[in-house]
Amino acid sequence: MEARVMEPQPADDLDLVQETVAGTQASFELLVERYQSRMFALARHYTKNPVEMEDLVQEAFLKAFTRLDTFQHQSSFYTWLYRIATNTILDWMKRRGRSPVTSVEDPELIGEPSRVKIAAPDAQMERNETARITHEVLEHLPDIFRQVLVMREFEEMAYQDIAETLGISIGTVESRLFRARARFKDKLLQLHPEFGQGE
Amino acid sequence: MNACTDSRPLIMSYLDGELSEAQAAPLRKHLLECQPCRASAQDQKNLTRWLSTAKQVEEPVHVPRDFAARVARRAFQGDRGALTVEAPMAVLPQRRDERSFRFVLVLTAAAAVIVLCFAVAIRQMTLPTSSRMMAQDENVLPLDKTIQELDRLNARDCEAAKPDVKPAEAGRRP
Ligand SMILES: [Zn+2]
Repeated sequence: MEARVMEPQPADDLDLVQETVAGTQASFELLVERYQSRMFALARHYTKNPVEMEDLVQEAFLKAFTRLDTFQHQSSFYTWLYRIATNTILDWMKRRGRSPVTSVEDPELIGEPSRVKIAAPDAQMERNETARITHEVLEHLPDIFRQVLVMREFEEMAYQDIAETLGISIGTVESRLFRARARFKDKLLQLHPEFGQGE
Repeated sequence: MNACTDSRPLIMSYLDGELSEAQAAPLRKHLLECQPCRASAQDQKNLTRWLSTAKQVEEPVHVPRDFAARVARRAFQGDRGALTVEAPMAVLPQRRDERSFRFVLVLTAAAAVIVLCFAVAIRQMTLPTSSRMMAQDENVLPLDKTIQELDRLNARDCEAAKPDVKPAEAGRRP
């Protein structure tokens, strides 16, 4: 503890976890503060409703709290928290009954990519406009595909981490990601055919 | 063995930086020699550009004031969290607020009847111009259409998945 007085560094996540488990509410508050923005950014990919967003993030933190004593520091706290948040979102999606979350592996289907190639976002186009179109397309994808794209493209997770977080094999991650991208492309071209390039 | 057939499934993993050098080296060589595979790689790269651009311009999130304090307080009060998001069949109030809940139900029903009456009345009044009404109705429904579209896509996924019940095995290449 004295060491912390010498070093002005912020408290380590693990310290905060241990202090929380020992009963210090303020330490948990610090942990929440540290990661709340990233959690809200994650939830935003699945709902635009601010109340739902807040519910999801709160739920994730409350779940994390009840399992804090099981947190071992072989993974970073964020990775651990992210996994809980992802599962919270999965449960929520299932409860809303919007997506068949586990039943859609069809690796056979992926053999036929569409002939039309896609253009990179126009260099002249506003980046905000590119982002708007991208989110518009993402919103049209089934949750199961959006989820894996969010993990890969926005969270920049390795296949292995995605596999562990979702409890699926790396082979399944690959095929799901491949199909998610194919669907993203199809949807983008369907909504905005002007971004297609002939063979 | 066809070099293209071997290479195509690896392109995505290669672009994602997920291949070992031993896997990547022959693929790179093939890409240099094969225009169609190169085009496929370029296509996938272009696609990724959309997503990476969107990531770069993500708007800052809005976290409600005192969120952390509130969550920490609830956690220490023993709140284990149970999502109250629209779960249609799930939890109806079982506790003492049941009576007030019933009252709300009655009120809601009454309101619904009133709204219905109004709707019918308005409908009657505008019957002569009903074709215009129809056109407006179509504009009111984009959300429903989106949901229908989602359902349709999901249903198609389920249908497509049926013949192959087993999930993809570990290490299986797409
Ligand atoms: Zn080739």
